Parts: sequence; C-alpha cells; structure tokens
Amino acid sequence: MSVMGILNLASKALAAQKTAIDVTGQNIANVSTVGYSRQSVVLETSGGSVDYLNVTGDGVRVAAVQRSKDAFLQAQTLGETSTSGKESALQNAMAQVEPLFTDTTTTGLGTALQNFYNSWQDLANNPQGSAERQAVLSSAQTVVDNFHQLSQSMNDQLTQTNSSLTTTTDTISTSLKQVADLNAQIKILEVGGGSANQLRDNRDQLLKGLAQKVGISTQEQSDGTMTVTLGSSSGGPTLVSGATASILGTDGGNPAAIMLKANAADGGTDVTAQISADARSGELGGALQVRDQLLPGFLGTLDQTASSLATQVNSLHASGTGLNGSTGVDFFTSPTVTSGYSGLMALSITSPNDVAASGTPSTGTGDNTNALALAGLKNGAITVGGSQTTVPGLYGSLVANVGVAVQNAAQGVSQSSAMLTQLDNLRESQVGVNMDEELSNLISFQKGYEGAAKLIVTGQEMIDTVLNMVK
Amino acid sequence: MRVTDKSIANNNLIGMQRNLERLAKLQQEASSGLKINSPGDDPVGAQKALQLQGTLSDNTQYARNIVTGTAWLGQADNAMSGMGDIVSRAHEIAMQMSTGTVSAENRAAAVSEVTQLTAQMVQLGNTQVGGKFIFGGFNNETTPFDASGAFTGTDDTVNLQVGKNSQVAMNYSGGKLLNGTAGGVNVFAELQNLSTALSTDNQSGLQGSLTSLDTAHNQLVSARSEMGSRMVRVESATTSLDSMNVTLNTDLSGTQNADIIKTYTDLTSQQTAYQASLTATTKISQLSLLNYLK
Repeated sequence: MSVMGILNLASKALAAQKTAIDVTGQNIANVSTVGYSRQSVVLETSGGSVDYLNVTGDGVRVAAVQRSKDAFLQAQTLGETSTSGKESALQNAMAQVEPLFTDTTTTGLGTALQNFYNSWQDLANNPQGSAERQAVLSSAQTVVDNFHQLSQSMNDQLTQTNSSLTTTTDTISTSLKQVADLNAQIKILEVGGGSANQLRDNRDQLLKGLAQKVGISTQEQSDGTMTVTLGSSSGGPTLVSGATASILGTDGGNPAAIMLKANAADGGTDVTAQISADARSGELGGALQVRDQLLPGFLGTLDQTASSLATQVNSLHASGTGLNGSTGVDFFTSPTVTSGYSGLMALSITSPNDVAASGTPSTGTGDNTNALALAGLKNGAITVGGSQTTVPGLYGSLVANVGVAVQNAAQGVSQSSAMLTQLDNLRESQVGVNMDEELSNLISFQKGYEGAAKLIVTGQEMIDTVLNMVK
Repeated sequence: MRVTDKSIANNNLIGMQRNLERLAKLQQEASSGLKINSPGDDPVGAQKALQLQGTLSDNTQYARNIVTGTAWLGQADNAMSGMGDIVSRAHEIAMQMSTGTVSAENRAAAVSEVTQLTAQMVQLGNTQVGGKFIFGGFNNETTPFDASGAFTGTDDTVNLQVGKNSQVAMNYSGGKLLNGTAGGVNVFAELQNLSTALSTDNQSGLQGSLTSLDTAHNQLVSARSEMGSRMVRVESATTSLDSMNVTLNTDLSGTQNADIIKTYTDLTSQQTAYQASLTATTKISQLSLLNYLK
C-alpha cells in the first residue's frame, strides 16, 4: 500500500466511525420514541484491490444500517392488540351500563318495585284511604319511570354504539390508505438501495393502531410492501395490497352493516358477520358485540320484566273493583308486544278511586282482598324461558348478568393488557434501545474515530518524512 | 433477557398503575364500608343482597301491617270486654229482679237502666279505629248498628299480611258477635226481652232471661278469646320477624359489607406497596452509565 493509501484508508475509517456514531445518536435520540426499532451499523472490511502489495485490505466500510425486527412478535402483538381493543370496547360499554344498576347501594328499579308492592300492603291496611291510593299510583309511576330510564339509557347507548361504527370504519380506512402510501414509498426507496427504516417503523405503528380498531393479518412481500387482510387469521379479504387500499364503511342503517369496498364507487361486500365471529376483532368487533348481543340481551330481560309485571298486575287488577265501582280496568297499559315494552309502559289509570283494592263482587269499601292479592304478586311465579321466577327475581338476575358482563370485560382487559405488556417487553428486549449499550458503543466508535484521525496524522508525518528525504 | 430503559419505564408505570388501582378500590371499600359498590364487584353477591334487601323491606312492611292489626285487635278486645260487662250487668239486674219479693214498680223502674245498657251496647258495637267501624266487616265506613241494634255491616273478614305466607284477620263480624247471625244468640234481642219482662212484671220471663244472658255472655267471652289468640299470633309474628331480621341483617352485612379490619389492613399494606413502587422508580432511573461518563 502506498503512503497515500494510508490517508485514504484513514478517511474511510473516519467516515465509517462517523456513520456508526450517527446511528448511535439516532438510537439515543429515539430512546423514548414509541415503536422505534433500534438500528445498528454493520461494518465490514473493505478489500478488492488488485494491488499485490495490498495484503491488508484497504480499510472499513459501512455494509448496512440494519433495523432490528421480529416478524413473529409483530404478528403476535397485532393479534393481542386486537383482543385488547375488543375487550376495552366491551369494558367501556359496561362502564356505562353498570351505573344504571346500583340498587345495592342506592335506589333503583329494584327498590321502586319493592315500594310498589309495599304500597299495596298499605292500601290493604286502609282500602278506602285516598292517601294510600295515591301512594299506589305514585309508586307505580316511579316503577314506570325507572323502566323508562333504564330502557332509554340503554337504547341511547345502542344508537351511540351504532353511530360509533361509522367513525371507527372511517379511521380504519384512513389508516389503510396510509399503509398503502407507505408501502409505495418503502418499495421505491428500497428498490433504489436506500434505507426505509423510519418508514417501516411508521408502518408498524400504523398497523398496530389498525389492529386496535379491527382484527388484521399481515404478510410482508419480497418487495418490502405489506399485504394486510381482514381477520385475525389469514385468508380474509384483502385490505391493503401494495399501494392499493380498500375502504371500510357502513351502510348507514341502524343497525348498520360493515361494508368492505374496493373503492369509493364500489357498493361493497357485507363483512359484519365475519368481524363479529372473530375473537380478536378489535374495537369494531367489540362495538358490534355490544350492539348485537350485550345490550339487546339486557334490554330483552328488562322488557320481559316490565311486561311480566304489567301482565300480572293487570290480570288481578281487572278482576277487582275500584272505590267508584269500576271493574275490569287495566292498571298498566297492556303489553301487546314484549319487545320495547319497558320504554312504552305507562299507567292506564289516573284516578285514585280506580285502584281496585276490593274483590268482585265487592260487599263494601273496606274490602281489601284484591289489594292483598296484588301485594302478594311480589312472590307471584312467572315462567321465563322455561324456568320459574318472580318479577323481582327476574330483575335480580338482570343485575347479576350485568355484573357478570362487567367482570368478564374487566378480566378480558386485564388479561390482554398483561399479554400486551409481556409482548411489549419481549419486543423491547429485542429491538428497544438500551442507553448503557448505546453509550458503550459510542465510546468504542469515538475511540475508533480518534484512532483513524491519529492515522491521518501519522500518514502526514510519513509523507513529510519522505519529502524531507528529497531535500 | 435484554433489558431496555423503555421496558423498565413501562414496567414501572404498569406496576404503579396497578398498585394505584388496587389502592383506589380498597379506599372505595373503606370509605363506603361496602365490598359490593356495583354489580360488577360481585354479581352473585349483588343478586343475593338485592333479594335480602327485598325480604328485609317486606318485613318492615309486615311490621307496619302488624301495628295496624294490633290497634284493631286491641280496640276490639276493649269493646268486647265492655260488652261482656254490659251483659253481666243485665244478668245481675235479671237476677235481682227475678226474686218474688220485688214489686212490679221496682221492676218497671229497672227498665230505664236496661235501655241505657242497650244504648251502650250499640255504642260499643260502633267502635271505631282510625275512622273505621271495626265490627262492620267490609262495610266499615257507616255505623254497623242502628239505635235498635240491627246490623247493617257485612260478615267479611279483613285480613292483614303479617308474614310472607301468613295472614291474620283483624276484625270480628258485629253481626256474628251481637246479632248471632252465625247461629248464636242475638244480644240485643235478649236485652229487649229483659226489658219487656221487666215492664210487664213477668217473673218467669226474667228467669228465662237469666239463661239466655248467660249464653250471650259466653258468646262474647268466646269471641274475645278468639281475638286474644289472634293477638298472640300477631305477637309471635312480630317476634319471628325480629329474629328473622337479625339473621337477614347478618347475612346481608356478610354479603355486601366490607370486613373493615381486613380492608384497613389491606389498605395499609397496599399503601406500602404503592410507596415501594414509587421509590423503586426513582431509584432505578438514577442508575446509568451516564453517571460515570465524565
């Protein structure tokens, strides 16, 4: 190697160490960046000179700036993120439902029902009392108000959940478009031999956000683009392929269907059932479960409770006699259809004298037989779904079901978040930045840089020596 | 496993959050004194608590019913005791006046007392509790007995619920009691007979009255003892409600109340745990190679 060769080698070394320090700097700077994957510089000896004197090679060069990654962890994280998204959606929904059922600590429908039955007992104690009659009517009104409030709150939540589907699908469509755009950029950069590490980090983050919203599977192609399909197991319809993104939307109805469209003009395919059936279906799937199973289930029991109460009370009340001699009168509006009755239920009588405390035929106004019978309805058997219960019992089971759903959602969230933490830690341990490691790398690269600089000084002195020989 | 600064930070954050969450839960338990604050805390317990609260509320209502019933039964007992006294007095008069030495004038003079007694009997038959005529059956808003002692009420039984499956009649039919509608003696008719016998100076009639007034007295006494036995039933219902409430309250408090001692112990240890996680977080972030690079 010529003396000039030494200078050349040293300058290459300087450049290589400089790049390594740059990469370390980048790692240190991004120590807290979410989704950042640690980069490392791959140095290799530079050789390939045909000079027979060059037996040592001619220095060092940067072969690549590598981005740490783990495709398996990435796929697992996406799946678990979808589970977490779904469970969170359920938990959020239950957090709104649960406060409606606080009978154990304050008042609610259960207490209202109890007061209603007790008001009949008071009426039995004094069948002619106008205060007692009024109390029956007002306690019944409280029961009705409670049914209305529960029904209204849950129906509001149904509507709200349904309209949230549109917002969610819009967000998903935007993310899909961004993934497709990044696919295009990554492909161009990498085909040209460039490094698209930052873009890949961005894309991974986008995919994670996407998985939070809906279950997806990903497959990286040889050209660096990511193919995204719908559903947590592969084989679903394609969402992103290369630079092309599909659109996820709703048909705008109530209940709305989730439509997958190839482009804005496409009518789309209904994928609601597929998303619903997926256990890792993200916030979108969670919202669908809330809308199609959870809330309708609670509302169904509530309607059943309201209509059973009305049917029982009406049947006895119509068989009795009011203070004004009226008989055959319904107490509540007749529940012709059970579905939605809790929201429609109303008192059918307004005059306290219409309250039928007496039996038929009534021998006197002191007749309290019907009031006693109506008070006894608290323990009156009704058959729901083949099993015997009572109206307060049915309500009790609704409260228990709400409680179980709350517990399940909380458990689901804590499980999936524990899994996610574990996966995050695993990911961090493979691709995260460790400051101590970066600092020790920095020291070694700095020393390398100092050495290379020293080499240049030495080379310069050698040249000076040669030049002085000529004098 | 390779550890990074971010994973340490994440773990610290999660640990602190978890500790804080548990702390908040325990603090809620401690401040409300309840371990079931919403159905999600314990669905089965919540359902059971609702049921127990319902039964307790039922029992409160039964106790209220018993108060009304006791008033009726007590007042009926007083009235019947008064009626018995009247019949006894009538019996006494019949006894005194049935001896041969009594003159027709003396007998005629006793008539006014018997008329007085009849009026008192009507008054007792029209005894009221809270504006209700307790001997009127279902027809209890108008006087069941007119001045002559004719019954205009009904023989119906007014029942009250004193327990889940037990009802007690709180009235007694005035017709059965004083008019003998159920095959007994008509007390008013007997008083009238006595009065007639006195005014007509009919000694054998007076002797007949002695027997029939005895029967009338027995009728009143047996009715009174029936009321007494109902009173006993109501009292025993009260006792059983009380003892049942003790059991129910124990059960309810076991179901929904927090074990305060345990909660406070847990709270203290959780506070320590939270403090530890805070301290650990500050300690760990102090250590870094940066401290040694000068």
